[in-house]
Amino acid sequence: MMHRRTALKLGAALATIGLPAGAAESEVAIHNNVELSGTGVTSGSMWKMGVDLAVKEINAAGGILGRKIAITHQDNQSQPQIAKAVATKAADAEPYVMLGPIFSGDVNVSMAVAENAEIPMIMGGEAANLTQQGMKYLFRTSLNQASAMPKLANYLAKNGVKSMVVVWGANDFGKGGRDAMVKEMAARNIKLAADISTEPGQMDFSPVVVNASKANADALFSYMNEEESARFLIALKKLGYDKPVYGETVLVSQKVIELAGPAANGAKGHVGLSVDAPNPKVQEFGRKFMQAYNTSSDHNGIKGYTAVYLVKAATEKLGKFDRKAMAAAIHGGSFSAAQYPGLLMDESYDDKGDLDRESYLVEIKDGKQVITEVLPPVGKK
Amino acid sequence: MSPLRWIILLAGLAFVALAPTQMKNYGVYLTTLWCVYLIAGMGLNLTVGYAGQISLGQAAFLGIGAYTAAIMSKAGVPYLAIFPAAAALCFVVGLLLGFPALRVQHHYLAFATLGFNMLVFLVLRNEEWLTGGTFGINNIPRPTLFGWRFNRPLDFYHLTFAVLVLTGVLMAFLLRSPWGRAFAALRDNPIRAESVGINTTFYTLMAFAIGAAYAGIAGALFAPLVQFVEPAPFGFATSLSMLLMVIAGGSGRFFGPALGSVVVVLLPEWLRFAADWYLAVFGFLIVAMMIWLPGGLLSLPERVRR
Repeated sequence: MMHRRTALKLGAALATIGLPAGAAESEVAIHNNVELSGTGVTSGSMWKMGVDLAVKEINAAGGILGRKIAITHQDNQSQPQIAKAVATKAADAEPYVMLGPIFSGDVNVSMAVAENAEIPMIMGGEAANLTQQGMKYLFRTSLNQASAMPKLANYLAKNGVKSMVVVWGANDFGKGGRDAMVKEMAARNIKLAADISTEPGQMDFSPVVVNASKANADALFSYMNEEESARFLIALKKLGYDKPVYGETVLVSQKVIELAGPAANGAKGHVGLSVDAPNPKVQEFGRKFMQAYNTSSDHNGIKGYTAVYLVKAATEKLGKFDRKAMAAAIHGGSFSAAQYPGLLMDESYDDKGDLDRESYLVEIKDGKQVITEVLPPVGKK
Repeated sequence: MSPLRWIILLAGLAFVALAPTQMKNYGVYLTTLWCVYLIAGMGLNLTVGYAGQISLGQAAFLGIGAYTAAIMSKAGVPYLAIFPAAAALCFVVGLLLGFPALRVQHHYLAFATLGFNMLVFLVLRNEEWLTGGTFGINNIPRPTLFGWRFNRPLDFYHLTFAVLVLTGVLMAFLLRSPWGRAFAALRDNPIRAESVGINTTFYTLMAFAIGAAYAGIAGALFAPLVQFVEPAPFGFATSLSMLLMVIAGGSGRFFGPALGSVVVVLLPEWLRFAADWYLAVFGFLIVAMMIWLPGGLLSLPERVRR
């Protein structure tokens, strides 16, 4: 039988596991509202690992303006009603900044809470409409779909693609990307040869490959979440699909390469963030991430990492902890990676919280992302 | 009911009404969400617990109610019209779903209702012109009733609580009426029920329709609570959670869904201290509860006495 004292100690230990570290005067509280279970777990876990790595580094180097970061992670189960509960809980605790979520539905409900509480929220969502609702405290960590798709569409048109099959996942992410790409294709006279939707969590992609083959298009564009993208690449390889396969960020991400194995070879696409980018700071981050977690970071890992460093950069630029002033400073602000190395790349924000920076065209060769072209920030064109 | 039970009931209601006044917004939001799921759970308890008809489609009705409220409130329709509209629409659709139950029972009926849930999910996701598709509908306003805007979290909670009490009282009257006894007869022995003159067709359909109407009302509160709707929260997994709500509390017991929705809505939040393990601990507790308390939490006193 367990001794009473042991039981008490165990109870006390259990009660303190995972309790948010109360932000003392010497600390600054940051709350991370993230998808750690449910359909968004792959993206959320990477984001969390990126955040943790940045927090560890910043704290080891003395924190932000001398204050250590007290980070609290809360799982939103990839469900908007829970994400709203988590955001409300975070707002009640009045943290300096809120990080996450990644899924658009979760961002939609959380950003209203952050707005009411006047707390800056740095999130990982990529759907174009998120920053178009006039929020003053919402900031991205990557290009949105509306800025990324024109870059890829230009490349396709330049390479003589006249017709294309579009395969997309039937969720807000997939549909948003599909709509943005179809619009860009129409603007460049690229014919939509087949428009194929797939289910989130779909296991068998053979019928999709058969329908795509029947369309006999010059190329195929795939826009789904990580697991589905990997299964689709495996099915394409297995059934001998021989046309070029393009994607945007996810299809050519490290996670998909890891899941799809050799089937990922040959896939091409546009990525806003890649650990293989020809940039020593990004590559150094990739090495540190691998050392810390024994896995490669994908774009969500980089997003989480840079989100924390954006907090540091904006606060240090301001010279004080002031949520309102910080949000105002990021809007229209530019941050150079030379001055703030943790940002990895130069970035600038517009008045809506949208981000602009360089991006890459890549091809998967021998299980590695190979950068074929570096594209400048949209604003530099 | 004995005077002691009345006192306990009134004290419980007073506690639930007043406790959120001492809570921060997070506590108020969660208690409101608990009320919303409880209203839907009461409806499912009528269908499953009292009338004995298995249903895996309650989330679909919650969704129909939520989207009705979202679409109508965005169109400027007053909430006074939205609540009856959501309930009436779900009542009619519930009536239609009741028809398969006249032909099939048990797990066959479970699959029929599951299919219905998937059908509704697909309509919500694919009919973008009406439902916003995968992008959902955002910025749903909080209700205004009789010139009073229930915008603050606590005000909206009190509105939800009032609807909960009203629907609870209506359910109590229904169950104490001859209808309640007819539902129980239908559950315990449909052949005997029919032989004593109970119209089993009518009561089977009513069990689905009324249960669905309750979910419709809950949905009409869900939309302005979260202020955003998308298809995901109305999928089959939520229907399973609602069935768990009824079973974990005590199927066919009036207060069963109240405890069951504590288990499903509040328990995972209370377990957050276990950090990465909180959902695993939750799953373990549910398994343990099903093994040791198959009759639900309300069967605990009987089990202790035995």
